[in-house]
Order: sequence, then C-alpha cells, then structure tokens
Amino acid sequence: MKFDRQWLINFDWPLLGIVLAICFIGVMNIYSTGFSLTTAKAPLYLKQIQWIIMGLLFMLIILSIDHRILVQYAYIIHGVAILMLIFVTFYGYTTHGSQRWIAFGGFSFQPSELVKLTLILSLARYFSDHGTQSRYSIKDLLTPFFIVLVPFLFIVRQPDLGTALMMLIVFISMILFVGIRIKDLLIAGSSGLLLAPLAWYFFKDYQKERILTFFDPERDPLGSGYHIIQSMIAIGSGGFLGKGFLKGTQTQLKFLPEQQTDFVFSVFAEEWGFIGGVVLMILFISLILWGFKIAQYSRDLSGTLIAYGITIMIFWGVFINIGMVLGILPVVGIPLPFLSYGGSSVVVLMMAIGLLINISMRRFILQP
Amino acid sequence: MMGMFGRLNGHDTADFRKRFQRLFVIVLIAIAILTIRLAYLQVFKGDEYKLRSENNSVRLRKIAPLRGLIMDTHRQVIVDNQAAFDLVYVPSRVVDIQRIIEQVEAFYEKRGLSLNNDSQLTGKTRPFMPVRLEKNITMAKLAFIETHALDLPGVVVEVAPVRKYSGGEMMSHVIGYTGEISKDELEKRDDDEIGPGDIIGKSGIEKFLDEYLAGKSGAEQVEVNVTGKVIKALGHIAPVPGYNVVLTIDYELQKAAWEALAGRRGAAVVMDPRDGSILALVSTPSFDPNLFNSGISKRDWDRLSKDPLYPMENRAVSGQYPPGSTYKVVVAAAALAEGLITPDTRFFCNGSFELGNRSFRCWQRHGHGWVNLHRALVESCDVYFYNLGKMLGVDKLAEYARGFGFGELSGIDLPREKPGLVPTKAWKLARRKESWQLGETISVSIGQGYNLVTPVQLANAFSALANGGALWRPRIVKQIEAVDGRVVKVFPPEKKSVLPVSPEYIEMIRQGLWGVVNEKGGTGSALRRPEADVAGKTGTSQVVGLPRDEAGRRAKILSGRFRDHALFACFAPYKHPEIAVAVIVEHAGGGGAVAGPVARNIVDAYFHLKTSRAAPKAPATQNVVNERAGQ
Repeated sequence: MKFDRQWLINFDWPLLGIVLAICFIGVMNIYSTGFSLTTAKAPLYLKQIQWIIMGLLFMLIILSIDHRILVQYAYIIHGVAILMLIFVTFYGYTTHGSQRWIAFGGFSFQPSELVKLTLILSLARYFSDHGTQSRYSIKDLLTPFFIVLVPFLFIVRQPDLGTALMMLIVFISMILFVGIRIKDLLIAGSSGLLLAPLAWYFFKDYQKERILTFFDPERDPLGSGYHIIQSMIAIGSGGFLGKGFLKGTQTQLKFLPEQQTDFVFSVFAEEWGFIGGVVLMILFISLILWGFKIAQYSRDLSGTLIAYGITIMIFWGVFINIGMVLGILPVVGIPLPFLSYGGSSVVVLMMAIGLLINISMRRFILQP
Repeated sequence: MMGMFGRLNGHDTADFRKRFQRLFVIVLIAIAILTIRLAYLQVFKGDEYKLRSENNSVRLRKIAPLRGLIMDTHRQVIVDNQAAFDLVYVPSRVVDIQRIIEQVEAFYEKRGLSLNNDSQLTGKTRPFMPVRLEKNITMAKLAFIETHALDLPGVVVEVAPVRKYSGGEMMSHVIGYTGEISKDELEKRDDDEIGPGDIIGKSGIEKFLDEYLAGKSGAEQVEVNVTGKVIKALGHIAPVPGYNVVLTIDYELQKAAWEALAGRRGAAVVMDPRDGSILALVSTPSFDPNLFNSGISKRDWDRLSKDPLYPMENRAVSGQYPPGSTYKVVVAAAALAEGLITPDTRFFCNGSFELGNRSFRCWQRHGHGWVNLHRALVESCDVYFYNLGKMLGVDKLAEYARGFGFGELSGIDLPREKPGLVPTKAWKLARRKESWQLGETISVSIGQGYNLVTPVQLANAFSALANGGALWRPRIVKQIEAVDGRVVKVFPPEKKSVLPVSPEYIEMIRQGLWGVVNEKGGTGSALRRPEADVAGKTGTSQVVGLPRDEAGRRAKILSGRFRDHALFACFAPYKHPEIAVAVIVEHAGGGGAVAGPVARNIVDAYFHLKTSRAAPKAPATQNVVNERAGQ
C-alpha cells in the first residue's frame, strides 16, 4: 500500500479547512476565557493548540491506514479500548469526582473518548457484515447491543454520564440508520425504559445523586440552574453584533461557569453576537452535511457507516451542547465538538476527521 | 491486493439516497431551531439581557462550613468555633477598591477608629462580588457600622466562623492554626472545593487533618439590590461541617507540662508506653494561635517569624539535639546484645580515657573507680561508655540506635517532623568527605558529636525500654468522628518494631535507670518520689544546636555564650509504666539539675491527675515488666 499521488489530489481539503476554521474559533475563544487561576501552568489556549497539533499527527497516522483494515480489526481495537477503560476504573486518577483519566508522562488521557470512536468502528463492522438490505430484528441486534453495553457500563460507573449518554445516542442513531423493524423498535424501546430502573441498584449513592441531577437540574439549584441563568444572560447580552473579543462581561467577570468546557458557546455568543453565532452554525452545518456526503458516496458500506457514525456523533454534540446553553435542553455535560477545551476529546475528534478524510479520498481509488 | 477485503460489501449508494435526504432535513431543522433560539435571545431579547448583564444581580455566595472540633482524650473540647464579624463591601458596579478603602477609613476616623487591613487589596471590584475589607472587627466597630450603615452604601457586616483555641499558647504546636489559603497553596490544590478566601489548616493537627476538619462549603444563590442587600434567595445548599477529631492528648497533663516548662526554652513529650499515645507535647517558647484568626497582622507575623528563638517551630518533633548521656542506654543495650560485656564486666574510671594522644574526660574528674554496668548507668560514668563505644565501633552503635528509633521519622501525626541523625562511617564520608575518626566514636558513645535526636524520638525510645521492648508509632490522633458521633476513622496503636535487645538485657538497663533516680549517687535524684516509682536518665549535651554548619557551631561553642542543653528521659511507675517522659531544656545547664525538676513536675502532675479523676481508667495491657526488678 504505497503512497499514491492520487491521494494528495483526492485529499479532502475543504473538510480539513472547515475543521481547522472551527478549531481556530475554539482556540481564540479559550484564549478569551483567559483562564489562568494557576499561573504556573501553561495557559489553556496554548494547551489546546498542543492538543490540536497532536490530533493532526494522529490524523496523519489514521490517513495512512485504509479504513477497511481498521474495520477488519474493529473488534480487537474496541476490545483494547475497553481494556484501557477498565484499567482507568481501577487505576485511573480522579478529577472532579470522576475517575476517568490515564496519565502518560505529562499528558493525561480519557479512554472513554476513544471508546466512542472504536464503538462506531465496531458497529460499522457488524452492520457492514450483515448488510442493510432488510430491516434488523432484536435478535440480530444482540451483538451490537453487547458491543455498546460493556463500555457503557464502565463509563456510567466512572461516572461520566455525558459520554455514556452520547454512546447510547450514537448507538440508537446507527440502528435507526441501518433499519430496524418497527415492531422490534417498539419492544426494544419500551423494555429499555422498563429495565433502566434495574441498573439503579448497581450505583453508589453519590452516583445516584449525580444521575438524578443529570436528569433534573433543579435538584442542584446552585449548579445547573445558576449556570443556565448566567449562560442565557451571557448569550442574550451579546446582542446582534456581540460585545467584542475579550469584552464579554459575563465571561471576564466569571459569572459564567465552566467557560472552557460545557459553556464555551456562551462565551463565543456573548463576544461575537448573533453574527458570530450564525457563522459558527454555518461552519457546523457545512461540516455535518459534508460528513454525510462522504458517507453517502463511500465506495463500501463500512465506509458509509463509519462516516455516518462520526458525523451523527458530531451533530448530536453540537445540537445537545448548544441546545443546553441556550436553555432549551437540560444541562447534561456534553462538550461542544472542537470548541470545548479537552485534550482527549480534541485528539479523538481529529482522529475521527482523519477517518472521514480517509473514506473520502479512497472513494476515487479503483477497486476490483 | 484487495482480495484481503473479502468482506467488502459492494453496495449501491442510491440505496441510501433516501435516508440521507431525510438526514439532511433533520439536521437543517435542528440547526434552524438553535439559530431561531439564538436569534430570540440575542436579537429580540438582546436589550433586556444586556441590561441584566450590566446589573447582574444574581450571585452565588459561598457559605463557609464550620470546622470540626478538636477534643482531648477525655473528650474535652480544646478547639471550638466562634462567630466573628467581617466588614464586607458589596459593589454595585465596577469601582476602584482603593477608593472604597479610603472612604471606610475616613468613616472610621470620625470615631477615632482605624481600618485594620493588611491584605493588599488593589484593582477593580466586580459588580456584586463581595470584597472583605476587614476581618474579625471589634464590637465597637460593629456597633458603629450597624448604626451608621446608611452613610456607607454597600458596606455590610457578615458573620463568619473563626477558630477558638482555648489552649492558647500551650497547645499551639500540637493544634497548629488556620488561615486563609495562600496563592501558592491554592496552586498546589487541584480541586474545585477550595477557592480564594477559604480557610485551611496551616500547621499542626489543623494542617495534618485538614481534609477531615475542613468540611464542605455550602452556597446560596441570591438576588441582590443595588446596595448589595439580599432581596431574594433563589437556592441554598447547606454547608457540611467538618469532622471532629479526638486526640490522645490529655489537656490537663498538657497544661501541667506547659507550666513545668514555663519561662524556659525547650520541649517535653509525654507518652503512654502501653500504646504509644502522646499524652502531652509541649514546645516553648510558643505563640498564640488565636492571633491568626482575623488574618494575622503584619506586625505580629514579623514578630513571630523573625524571633531568633523560633516560637513557631515545634521543638518536640522538629528540634534536633545531641542526646547526651540519655544515649548511654543505647550503648549499653548494644554492648550487651553483641555479647561484648556482661552486667558484671568492669572498667576502671580514673576520670579520663586515653586514646592515642588524646584524652577524653569523664564528667566526674576524680573518676568513678571500678564500675560495672549498673553503676555506670546510675552514676553516668563516661569512661565506662567510652570503652563500650570503642569496642562496638560507630557502625554497630548506629545499628542499635536505629533499632531504638533514632535517625528516622517516628511517624507522629504532625507536620514537619525531623529525622535526627545517627552518624556512621559511610554517612561522614558521603556528607563531609572525610573518613571517620576513632575519637568521634568515643564522643558518639556518650551522645555527643554528630548524634541528633528529637524529643519525641527520645520519649519513644524510653517508652520502649519502659514497656519491655515495643517501639510504637507515636500516636496523637485517636479517632475522627462525624458530627453525629459516628466514627469515621480510627487511628489504632501501631507497633513499629521491637528493640533489637533481648528482654533480660532490657531489664538490666531498666534496673540501672531505676538506680539513676532512686539510688545513692544517682544523677536523677530530682525524680526521687516517696513511691520510688520513677526510672530515668539524665543527659547534658554540650553542643549548641542553633547554627547548622560546623564552623558556625564551633564558633558558638568557643564563644561560650551558650550553655549546655539539659535532658531528662524517664518512665513511671517503674513496675507497670504508664508514662514515658522526655524533657529537653535548651542552654540551661546540667540535665539532672534543670530538666529533672521539669520532668518531676510532669510526673507528679500525672499521678495527681490520676488519683483526682473520679473514674481512673486502667487498661492493663502491655505490662511485660518482671516483678523481680524492684530492689
């Protein structure tokens, strides 16, 4: 599989361009949060740049591997990611009351982010093996269910409910895409709702509390309730043109919580206004529609499924996060793709984009 | 090459066209919803939110939790909380803090009061973010402000808990003190629980057990009006009080030890040989931890931190002193255990010991004559121990010293413990780049020279002799309890090791120590009580501990400006020991004459307390002492 000049020609420059534009906005935005409680550490925006560069390196690695090889080894890769996840459960270190990190030298890494990607690969493998000609029944879906269930349980245990929820949403989106019999869908949906309380007994008290707050932010009026009020004030006060870069009072006066992570869009909307918001929305729409286009025109089914899975994951991230900070969805800890600060998240997203480009550029290569 | 992708599923993309068309629509609708909502907030409601952001009147107030209580072994509360009043300014807009301070100062001036504020408050305020102008204001100020509140819009009095250290100076080295978290400390902590302005333990138990004592901050979300008054409470999370700590310290005994050392410079440690519990731990001179309550003033801080006598240092665990003759118990144990001597082995003391062309004096210039082990201990004959030291060699001696717990951290639950020093040939070569001299072995064998011990190590070693050989980890915390009394954590007694000496030899040394106090010619007669129940050893260390470097040390010694340290270590009652005591008085003279009476007062106080307490508890464990020892 030698390097082919054809690849360079077929390289999906527009996609990379859109992603880098969004990343640029993200870094600028994190710069504005100017978060440096600890002057000793590197400012966050510099760290985010480091993570993006590292992500680009991983993207290059992914590009050099045919995605079908990844699909072929998908289960093994998924298994390794789950092992890392299990490792964190026992040996990882804890921040913000949640145990989900592995440290490598100076960097720390969240296996749960990687698992989202390996999950998509594994589901793509399964559904491409079984085709999409006819709709699936519950019996057919037991294996994919198992593929998602194992890492899901470990991630819930950490507890990292945002990531767990995202995995579930990606899983359901995949099933709906490949097709499920209507009757089976109803049965699976209702039994899922009935079985959910059973899992309750496996949780510790503080985990239960976390889950309750997750679904009912009113339980923690000082947490999410306060956050949402401040977020809406920040966004609304941005107005049509915004207050200007580094001039967002809600941001600079630290009224706004979790500025670099979950509420990063509020910072942006306060400083850049409706105009900025619309530009960002256009960028995200372009990215998502471009991703679907890659999925649609992939040469093989596995490529279609991977591209679809990655794109739908990004779509849900954008929709849930922005919906949350705009006060129309409950406060669930799901970061905004490419904008929220977070090393593992950025690196894995870059790897995902690498996969998209991979699928995109290989569709031109003639296959026997 | 593509053959390896046998699973390749050639599919017709047209098959998916419909699905993707639907997806496009769904995505467009979803993003449209977000955009419409964004337009609603920013364009239609923009002006309203702009106003709200300018008068952002909703704020989150942190509610400080109550720190846990600290109790002594009899559950007497020795550290409590009390209400203090802070002067707080709640700005309604961005203003220069310096201007506010000037206004308050001018306001105070009318009454001849002055603003007591040492923290460097500079910069601009954030609207509705309270600024603490002055902590723990006096009642006079409180009354003045409350009656003239209208003259100073935005200035309010807030109630905050502060520590009340009823032990004051006498407990400060054990308990420590609290204070506002510093910038450096904040950087080291990587959790969300703590923020600027929070109170943390800075030393002693307050620091060591901070995670238990601290509790969890509560918070309330309130809406305030332009003057900073709360007009609406929007939510409330109650703070969680910290856990209570029960110490092994006996408050009354601590007090007695403090009084016994009053006016002197040094340390005293009282330990229960049955389980290693520290009953009293005193270091003098001391400081008043209550000074730190309102944020210590710069003047007080300078006075404390620049005091040449280091009142902030806990000499009981951080003070390192040559052990002097108290070390002879180690030398004796080593020689017995190595089989170099029997109790009857005798050496002749003519007042000095010749080694090459050097002469080492016995403290008794006229000599002790023929002495065996018992007499050598009782009369503290230096020449006898010079002989043992020479036979043992410094490395063998070091081995036993470590066996007694010297040269390493005792593991007591207090910060900044020092390990002391047990010199060896290798140590000297590594540290001083010089080879060991035999003459130094001679000095070391009577506890002079490079040897350094801490008072707590000394107490622990004598405690091990008292109980027949068990070296405990000195325990100062008994348990941690929740507010409702539920036990959160127990610190059980921990036996670290056993002395590397057989019980019969320990018994011989114990007999010698009894003789030191109770026999004619003994150096520890200060402890001779009618009950004849104390056994101990005096020590006088000739080297001044203050300068660390050799040259400075020499200079101090030669200048003769400093007197010897006086040491006394003992245990009682002799048959079934309940306490082991180590006393060090800096630059005071001879151990028997100076440290002895201090120890005597402590021992007396212990037995006095024991009889006066209505229900004397007597857990008879660990009494491994032979009855034949009485004589």
